[in-house]
Amino acid sequence: MEQHLSLLCCETDVTGKTKRALLDPVLLNDNRVLANLLATEDKYLPHTCYFNCVQTDIQPYMRKMVTEWMAEVCSEHKMEEEVFPLSVNYLDRFLSIKDIKRTRLQLLGAGCMFLASKLKETTPISGEQLVIYTDNSITLEDLTDMESWILLLLKWDLSAVVPNDFLDHVLHRMPFNKYDAHIIKRRAQTIAALCATDCKFMQTPPSMIACSAIACALKHLKPHSETDLASLHHITGIDMDLIRSCVEQVDQTVRACMASAAQTDQHVSKHEEQKQEQPTTPTDVRDINILGVDNTVSSSQAAQPYVY
Amino acid sequence: MQKYEKLEKIGEGTYGTVFKAKNRETLEIVALKRVRLDDDDEGVPSSALREICLLKELKHKNVVRLHDVVHSERKLTLVFEYCDQDLKKYFDACNGEIDPDIVKSFMCQLLRGIAFCHSNNVLHRDLKPQNLLINKNGELKLADFGLARAFGFPVRFYSAEVVTLWYRPPDVLFGAKMYSTSIDMWSAGCIFAELANAGRPLFPGNDDDDQLKRIFKLLGTPTEETWPGLTQLPNYRPFPMYHVSTTWQQVVPKLNSKGRDLLQKLLVCYPADRLSAEDSLQHPYFVDVNPSVK
Repeated sequence: MEQHLSLLCCETDVTGKTKRALLDPVLLNDNRVLANLLATEDKYLPHTCYFNCVQTDIQPYMRKMVTEWMAEVCSEHKMEEEVFPLSVNYLDRFLSIKDIKRTRLQLLGAGCMFLASKLKETTPISGEQLVIYTDNSITLEDLTDMESWILLLLKWDLSAVVPNDFLDHVLHRMPFNKYDAHIIKRRAQTIAALCATDCKFMQTPPSMIACSAIACALKHLKPHSETDLASLHHITGIDMDLIRSCVEQVDQTVRACMASAAQTDQHVSKHEEQKQEQPTTPTDVRDINILGVDNTVSSSQAAQPYVY
Repeated sequence: MQKYEKLEKIGEGTYGTVFKAKNRETLEIVALKRVRLDDDDEGVPSSALREICLLKELKHKNVVRLHDVVHSERKLTLVFEYCDQDLKKYFDACNGEIDPDIVKSFMCQLLRGIAFCHSNNVLHRDLKPQNLLINKNGELKLADFGLARAFGFPVRFYSAEVVTLWYRPPDVLFGAKMYSTSIDMWSAGCIFAELANAGRPLFPGNDDDDQLKRIFKLLGTPTEETWPGLTQLPNYRPFPMYHVSTTWQQVVPKLNSKGRDLLQKLLVCYPADRLSAEDSLQHPYFVDVNPSVK
């Protein structure tokens, strides 16, 4: 019976503006869908780490700034989860082909979100709203011109594969109950979004990011287990050592983010009256900070629960 | 656009005019779909963007091929492979008779096209005879992906005027707003019956209620037992308990028993029990399909 109910295809009204379908078992159970995703993902990877060989002005820290701004806009506007990673993919692919000045970087980021939103959302963000998010530093005409330019350079190849595409497929094949899978998915989404702002993952295949984000999310829930790595390997065919080393790197990124969040927290609490008791244990801090990451990168999740 | 010589206007698509044209260099005949961009601050319309991005990924002989996209300041031109007619026009010209082997061949090609889209994470969502193109070699191709979505897109609401009611499954008519693969399978079932009856639509409803009545009169009114969760659907309303009085033989007299069996497995009210495209292709009905289709 439970099986039957899970097959029922009805939508849940999530934010009032968007309807979301329940997961479709025909797509999830069909191994060809996952195989196709794995086969096509490489095609959409940026083919160089462009800072040294293409860009003459753009530095890694600028990419970090613009992607963090994009994450903020996506979260503020409660966009679909895939819009952010997809627009970062367009940005990196564009930058690996064309040299641009730093003054145009935000315009490029806005153009990428404009396209990703049109592709993924029922009610795409309007050009005008995007202009406002840039604090009117660009015009509507700049934005549509940039859109044409991106389309031309990327040859209209916008159906890129992103880590989020793999999460459901991989989690569906792992031995979790739906409740756990739901929590793990949300954490993995947050971690994957964080990776998108970090230059070191620019050329990492989305399936690898998805696996590492899942493994990383699991680490916070239960002791590290080799069987999880083994099943990730079994599901995606990615070498276990590769997953292991990527998990380590992802973990570093998460820790770095948590550390800076913790610093801000301490900063804030100093200004407040010191009523607080002793600092909480590291594990608790970790949990609180995971929530902190949730708020900055994808607070939209709070408003848009995924329903299985 | 110097590359193409316009020959004649073929029709109006979801978002623009379609012309038949000739490539001046290769002399190849193509279909040009023009999308105007002026009076629009929003740049490229999202429907055109989706169709282009999805079709670029879908290279299959039963899916219309997008050759090229020409983007100029004021307009966007999509260059498609040319097909002589759509299935609707084919029906109009067939004089009430379609050879059973052709019915089988078209149905097989339709299911192949759907199976390919589904395995690539793409739902068509608006399958109907007007969107199925047929070339002079008898090849059938899925077209008009303006409403299609890659899995993960939220659904877009279209009024009855935009999407034909006749091919809509009962779950969608009850407001389930479901856009899983089963939506395309119901449409495939309706088209199958229409093929078998040489162009007579199976459920030509006038409005949502009439559409549901026609469906339930043939299949019986579903209940919570046959369709778990039915009464919880957003637009659920009770219907008279119709009892099945017509036999499938009466519905599709020219279709053989294997074909009728396949049709029944597609036209299932409860979406979870509807046969998938891949499973449909394994159905015994297709054992002796014309090898040129295989």
